[in-house]
Amino acid sequence: MDTLQHLMTGLAAAMSWQNLVFALIGCILGTLIGVLPGLGPAAGTAILIPLTFRLDPTGGLIMLSAIYYGAMYGGTITSVLINVPGEAASVVTCFDGHQMAKQGRGGTALGIAAIGSFVGGITATIALVVVAPPLARVALSFGPPEFFALMLVGLGLVTSLAGRSLLAGLAMAVLGLLIAMVGIDPVRGAPRFTFGIPSLYDGVGFIPVVMGLFGVAEILLTIGGPPRQVVATKLTSLLPSREEWGRAWGAIARGTGIGFFLGLIPGVGAIIPTFVAYVFEKRISKTPENFGQGAIEGVAAPESANNAYANAAMIPLLTLGIPSSPTIAVLMGAFIVNGLTPGPFLFQERPDLVWAVIASFFLGNILLLVLNLPLVGLWARLLHLPYQYVCVGTLLFCVLGAYSLQQNVFDVGVMIVCGIIGYGMRRIDLPVAPLVLGLILGPFIEKSLRTSLEMSGGDFSIFVTRPLCLGLLVIGGLILLGSALRLAPAEVREASK
Amino acid sequence: MRRGWQVACFCLLGVFLAALVISLDYSLKDALGPGPGFFPFWLSLIGIVLTGAMLVQLARGSIIADAAIEVLPDRSAALQAGAVLVALTVAAALLDDLGFRLTMLPFVAGLLLVLGARSLIAIALTAVAGSFGVFHVFYYWLKVPLPIGVLGI
Repeated sequence: MDTLQHLMTGLAAAMSWQNLVFALIGCILGTLIGVLPGLGPAAGTAILIPLTFRLDPTGGLIMLSAIYYGAMYGGTITSVLINVPGEAASVVTCFDGHQMAKQGRGGTALGIAAIGSFVGGITATIALVVVAPPLARVALSFGPPEFFALMLVGLGLVTSLAGRSLLAGLAMAVLGLLIAMVGIDPVRGAPRFTFGIPSLYDGVGFIPVVMGLFGVAEILLTIGGPPRQVVATKLTSLLPSREEWGRAWGAIARGTGIGFFLGLIPGVGAIIPTFVAYVFEKRISKTPENFGQGAIEGVAAPESANNAYANAAMIPLLTLGIPSSPTIAVLMGAFIVNGLTPGPFLFQERPDLVWAVIASFFLGNILLLVLNLPLVGLWARLLHLPYQYVCVGTLLFCVLGAYSLQQNVFDVGVMIVCGIIGYGMRRIDLPVAPLVLGLILGPFIEKSLRTSLEMSGGDFSIFVTRPLCLGLLVIGGLILLGSALRLAPAEVREASK
Repeated sequence: MRRGWQVACFCLLGVFLAALVISLDYSLKDALGPGPGFFPFWLSLIGIVLTGAMLVQLARGSIIADAAIEVLPDRSAALQAGAVLVALTVAAALLDDLGFRLTMLPFVAGLLLVLGARSLIAIALTAVAGSFGVFHVFYYWLKVPLPIGVLGI
């Protein structure tokens, strides 16, 4: 009852005309980010953070959330029409979506993707409303040792599923944590690794790092690539036929379930749910040979999983303060920029904001459906935009975003350096996600570790004498052991690469 | 690819070693418990162990299977990437003195030319929109403080 009341209050706030406009702008910008290949949701959300600087936190976070899930849908359009995923989670949609476009069924592919995304997003948001408050209440009973263990588990999950080597993932996570140590020590107030540079006293900015690692690096990687070939397809018939509906609805339901449950697990990332949903659908299909040849289930399942994941991944962030992926980490960074720390206390301290943001997910999903079904032809036309203009526009917004965070050129320098590092990492396939997660979680992990040790007088046994903490640490250890022994299913390992 | 990983491992090793040495300057423990150097010290140590293990795995050939993957881009892509980095660095250096508008005008136009755009009208319009237009939207409408240069523009 209490939850319903909060949700209604949130809906009332989210439906104010200002917040509706912010959600609409966010959905448009998000779809645009998804449509433009080379600009993923993490970089896209990061470079658009300056847009929200002067907004009230509720409006700003509603817009950024809309950008995030808008990007998740937008990537589908490029997957279907040019066989290039607009963002990583849309890779799987290329398999059958592009084949459908080649057969003249591009409109149907985009239509079923929009409907699947809508169903996945709305269902996951309803589940979020049900699951989040009790989970936040449980998390309120956590002490610093439990939070320390929980964040280690989250980081461990991200690391264990990132790329080809567990050691490399761990080393990147440690590097991220170490970079987070730059600046004033949060407990004692002593400067660390600042080398007398005043700009470093506030630490290395998370937003410039993300813009560099994802935005600048992505541009550097895609320069000189082959020109895009847009498939000429009729986009008039967006709704599937009765026979196609019959095949798609089950796939949408299963994809939604898979996306939601995998979204609850930190570190899984957006690609894995889509991949698992696709493989599952193919395995249970009576005609698996049609997959890869334009099967509508091959579009419906991953697209539903994608948006269900995107909304479900907000649960660990809002209730536990654990970002599940680099994009969610950027959203966490946006909360922090606005002076808010995601986690169970946020439900207590700012229920108005949390519930308005959650309620906006419902409105955002409706807006996306309205935007995407009738306007899909308009989005498709954007694919003809020459890549040079996209590239320069992205770089322009990267400079603007990095600078305007603190009106400091130093942050632009940090972004450029991180762009070079990100480029190098991507060229040799070193995982970026653990570094980003380490960077955002670093201050919280250190603070909980040190507070725990202060509680115990420096005795490390505090982490093994509290049952919940011990349990979480055992889970974290098992995850890393499982990853070292390569116990994850082959599909998950392949998708995570 | 293997050479790339080796270089990355040595870079990481250097960073972790430097961090370890620097963290020794901060107290590892004080009256209240762990000091400012405690977490960086242990992180650096763990980082060194991990990178050492990676180097051992590399020597044994158990990390990288596909050693034939090209790490370096082709010459034209490398030149364009270099131009992007130079343009970004120059823009960062001039941003405070010249202001956002006067820095971004040649930044946008120059990069478009380098990246292969050929329509001069489109380039000019994009450069004006990307510098003066973006400044107007962010500075006046969204109230995001952007730099105004010594010329007052």
